[in-house]
Amino acid sequence: MENVFSILFCLTLFYVAVTYRVKAYVTILAIQGALLTFLLFIPLLDNFNPFSVILPLTIFVVKGVVIPIYINKIILKLDVKRKIEPTIEQISFLSLVILTIVLTFVFSIYLSSITKLEIIPFAVGFSSIFTGIYIIMFRKKLIVHVCGFLVMENGIFLLSTVVASELPMTIELGVMLDLFVVVFLMGIALNRIKSTFSGFEVTHLDRLKD
Amino acid sequence: MDVKIFQGLFSILIILSLAPLFAGLVNKFKARFTGRVGSPFYQPYNELLRLYKKETINANGTSFISRISPIINFVFVIIAAIILPVMFLKSIISFQGDIILFAYLFGTARFFQIMGAMDIGSSFEGMGASREALFALFAEPIFFFSFGSIAFISGYYSFYDVFTSIRLENVYYIIFIIICSISVFMLAVTECSRMPIDDPNTHLELTMIHEVMILDNSGFDLFLYQYASYIKLLIYAILEISLFYPFGSFSPTLQVVIFLVGFISLSAFLALIETITSRYKLKNIPLYLLFTTAIGLLNIIIYTFTK
Repeated sequence: MENVFSILFCLTLFYVAVTYRVKAYVTILAIQGALLTFLLFIPLLDNFNPFSVILPLTIFVVKGVVIPIYINKIILKLDVKRKIEPTIEQISFLSLVILTIVLTFVFSIYLSSITKLEIIPFAVGFSSIFTGIYIIMFRKKLIVHVCGFLVMENGIFLLSTVVASELPMTIELGVMLDLFVVVFLMGIALNRIKSTFSGFEVTHLDRLKD
Repeated sequence: MDVKIFQGLFSILIILSLAPLFAGLVNKFKARFTGRVGSPFYQPYNELLRLYKKETINANGTSFISRISPIINFVFVIIAAIILPVMFLKSIISFQGDIILFAYLFGTARFFQIMGAMDIGSSFEGMGASREALFALFAEPIFFFSFGSIAFISGYYSFYDVFTSIRLENVYYIIFIIICSISVFMLAVTECSRMPIDDPNTHLELTMIHEVMILDNSGFDLFLYQYASYIKLLIYAILEISLFYPFGSFSPTLQVVIFLVGFISLSAFLALIETITSRYKLKNIPLYLLFTTAIGLLNIIIYTFTK
């Protein structure tokens, strides 16, 4: 069952790689948050414990609802244009993502012969981290960089649920809080940048100034 | 004659008779969704009849290619329809490997349509032909990834065996069927030149793909092209519906129910997609097709890890 949600997660990575719209990134973040919630609910089906519902619910609220709504609000407030402005062609980007996914699958098959791990969630989480890095590398808009960071974070989360199925809840909640604060701070920073400069693209950063 | 031939004849009869109905239903639903009354659902039958009665006129300077290509196109599509099993009916031509024959029958039909379009010598038709060839090139791997992976999973290589052998005892198969149906749907949209790829309603030569290739055909030739395109749409619809037979656990009555429900709901869904999406830029269509190929690749990955 974990594999099913991981495959769906993989589909969202493909979609992120082809879409041209900023809004689609936010939708994908919400979907990924929901998928991670389902993923955490699966072990609860066997032994239900009211205390362990807290973490999935927090993840759903933070990753699936609050952060997407907050990013949407920033997009509306700062009047961000709806295209993502990639620096390379989308086709090359998608090919890169496909190649990465195939390579991580091969890598995780090799790894699974050494240690015991679930292949599909591990590989999908790993390729999600790479996709996040690619998004940060090959997009100009800062708000998309935030989305890329969150995709990377979701990948790390997926990986951690596979590698260590039982992390202490306090650590997970701490990571959650950290993430929330980061996104919040980025929103404030984007607001400040908006009031100082006309746009917020990383292309403004390629000139040196005294 | 034995039962098998009757079954095959019956299934080809179903395809031939229901093909214009499916296209008519799509148009009717589309009109309803956009708030119009729309033409009646049997309008494609009327149009086919009108074209059938008309005289064929060929452009000056065309060779025998443009005279034979409508017939060859039609015949190859019909042969592909004969291979396809409808519901529980076993098709007349069914052997191990008919999936590959099916794909290349469509390829040959398309080749002759492209040749016919090029033969007329109009630059518009040539442009449409080049686009059709490009998108067909991208669409072929999608077919082989999705149906190839089904064939691998089931261990059979003919449509009838494949569709009757997938059992839902494994939870992977459900997700596999869902993902496969997504990629087959996107493939059908491409192959039949429907909305996100090509707008069948525009008559701007610069933007269309399939319609521009048949601009200079008339009468019976146009009838053959139109009928072949209706049949092709229905064939892809049946391919899509066939993926959902395992949910009916292969009892004949349930299969008929699934077929009818799928027939109507798929036409409604296609109309819905055509209503809410706009045509993609031509530049972006290879990206769309590559995305679908990626989904097909995912099928292969699922197959690799669910053996």
